[in-house]
Amino acid sequence: MISNIEKKELTLGFMPLTDSAPVVVAYEMGFFAKWGLTVTLSKQNSWASLRDKLHTGVIDAAQMLAPMPIASNLGLYGERSTVITPLILSRNGNGITISSSLYNKILAQHQVTQLPMPFEANILKHEIAQRALINEKLTFAVVFPYSCHYYQLTDWLKRSDIAVSEINLLIVPPSNMVPSLQSGDLDGFCVGGPWNAKAVREAVGVTGVTSADLLQDIPEKVLGLMASWQQQYPNTTNALICALYEACQWLESIPNRFEAARLLTRAKYLDTPIDVIAPSLLGSCLTFNNHPPRLVPSYNQFSDLNNTDFNAPESHYGEKIADMMLNNGHINPEQRAQLDIATIYRKDLFQHK
Amino acid sequence: MFLFSLLFPVLTKLKKNTLTLSSVTKQAAHTKLKVLLAEKNQAKATVLMNVLSNDHYDIFHIAHSGMPLLKDVEQLDPDIIIIDIESPDRDMLENLNQISQFAPKPIVVFSEHQNPSTTINQLVKSGVSAYVIGEVSHQRVRSIIDVAIARFAVFQDLKQELAATKQKLSSQKNIEKAKLWLMENKQLSETQAYHFIRKTAMDNSQKMDDVARNILSVASIL
Repeated sequence: MISNIEKKELTLGFMPLTDSAPVVVAYEMGFFAKWGLTVTLSKQNSWASLRDKLHTGVIDAAQMLAPMPIASNLGLYGERSTVITPLILSRNGNGITISSSLYNKILAQHQVTQLPMPFEANILKHEIAQRALINEKLTFAVVFPYSCHYYQLTDWLKRSDIAVSEINLLIVPPSNMVPSLQSGDLDGFCVGGPWNAKAVREAVGVTGVTSADLLQDIPEKVLGLMASWQQQYPNTTNALICALYEACQWLESIPNRFEAARLLTRAKYLDTPIDVIAPSLLGSCLTFNNHPPRLVPSYNQFSDLNNTDFNAPESHYGEKIADMMLNNGHINPEQRAQLDIATIYRKDLFQHK
Repeated sequence: MFLFSLLFPVLTKLKKNTLTLSSVTKQAAHTKLKVLLAEKNQAKATVLMNVLSNDHYDIFHIAHSGMPLLKDVEQLDPDIIIIDIESPDRDMLENLNQISQFAPKPIVVFSEHQNPSTTINQLVKSGVSAYVIGEVSHQRVRSIIDVAIARFAVFQDLKQELAATKQKLSSQKNIEKAKLWLMENKQLSETQAYHFIRKTAMDNSQKMDDVARNILSVASIL
């Protein structure tokens, strides 16, 4: 137990995604309570609002995209805010899905009946060239610019020597992704669960590659806190880390993963059927309607029983993410140079009992 | 209680599409500021439109979300967008400038939550640029929007600097790639490849980046 907890009641913001599992599990399985905390989970509708509420203290802590604390520290949103992370909550969890109509078109172009998975961005080249002739581009979407989704999508393209400028890349709200794929406004997207599985279940998309196939093991979601909040409530921070760490460990068991999927279906969390939420948690990547799923054991990763530092926010992860931000033109070399990652990715604060 | 906080987002250009406005309150005259109110909830929208309605604004209420909203924004080309802090469309509207070169727009975010005064103080300290608490008068809304637009202009200058650097880097990359392709496929030396791109650019009054892109585009089809 942790004594002298300064602030026992706190509000934790999260986005309704499959990898919010650690937050939901810590609450539902009583880990917050066990560590002396009374936590209110606050579901958010956009990363921008989650960020602003954290910056302004409307919420005490938040599950954030791994690049977000770095973006806050650089003031990429307009004002600098010293957001830190003392804990990695998950890795991987994202997938790239293309529309069924684009998939069928590619099959016809290559005169094949199916594509080997995970598929490379190479498969898009013919269509990109065709559209270039009529001054059009394929349109892809992600949910937030400073996100691993963005960097995974551009990495996937780059591996096939496709520049991001060769496609249209939009930010679209998660709930609009599948309808836009169906309407043809989007040709593909890179998002987290449950949206890839939802596109496959509704037969409007084909998930051909997951983040576990690409930038393996980059932190995906982290616990975000204001540096000043941590200084004011060091013991509360420790208790929060311990409770969430325990939830991450609990999620190592596959039977527990299914129980987590059940919890996430509830209206106050994802409000989505279990056949859409459970697969990625169980290491199954749905590919195409009526096709067998692909085994991707680390599709969602929350912990590693053989590596107690799995959840430690080592600064080299932050450095890697900052490099991706630089390489994608999200920050310039001066901004990259001024970053002191060890003050943002706070491994020194990571502990578990 | 309304709390307005200012953010600095941006809009993109999409293909022109038929604009379908769920309800439009238009107050004529082109000199007026075009205000797009993105709000799915009709009751909330009505309250806000009453507060906003004055001689200075043309207010367009749009109930769409996601890409349909984006098309409306593109079609309407508003001067400013007003959106609920709880809207899932915030990330889309605020971040399109990250990946698109088209004219950005300021956004005002509103919240009707009862925030304690300590939170308001923190909002001010944290640098959120404009806000209003309590009953919102027409006068106050106008000043928020004026401040929003002014601050946005400053922020936009910074963004453009970054975009210029990004563009320069990307065109250098294109030229390098095109040179490499010419060297590998046309048996040119590096200097010859560079001169070929430069001469083609000069002969056609194009930028070297454009020539490089054309070469790469052709290369991708071959």
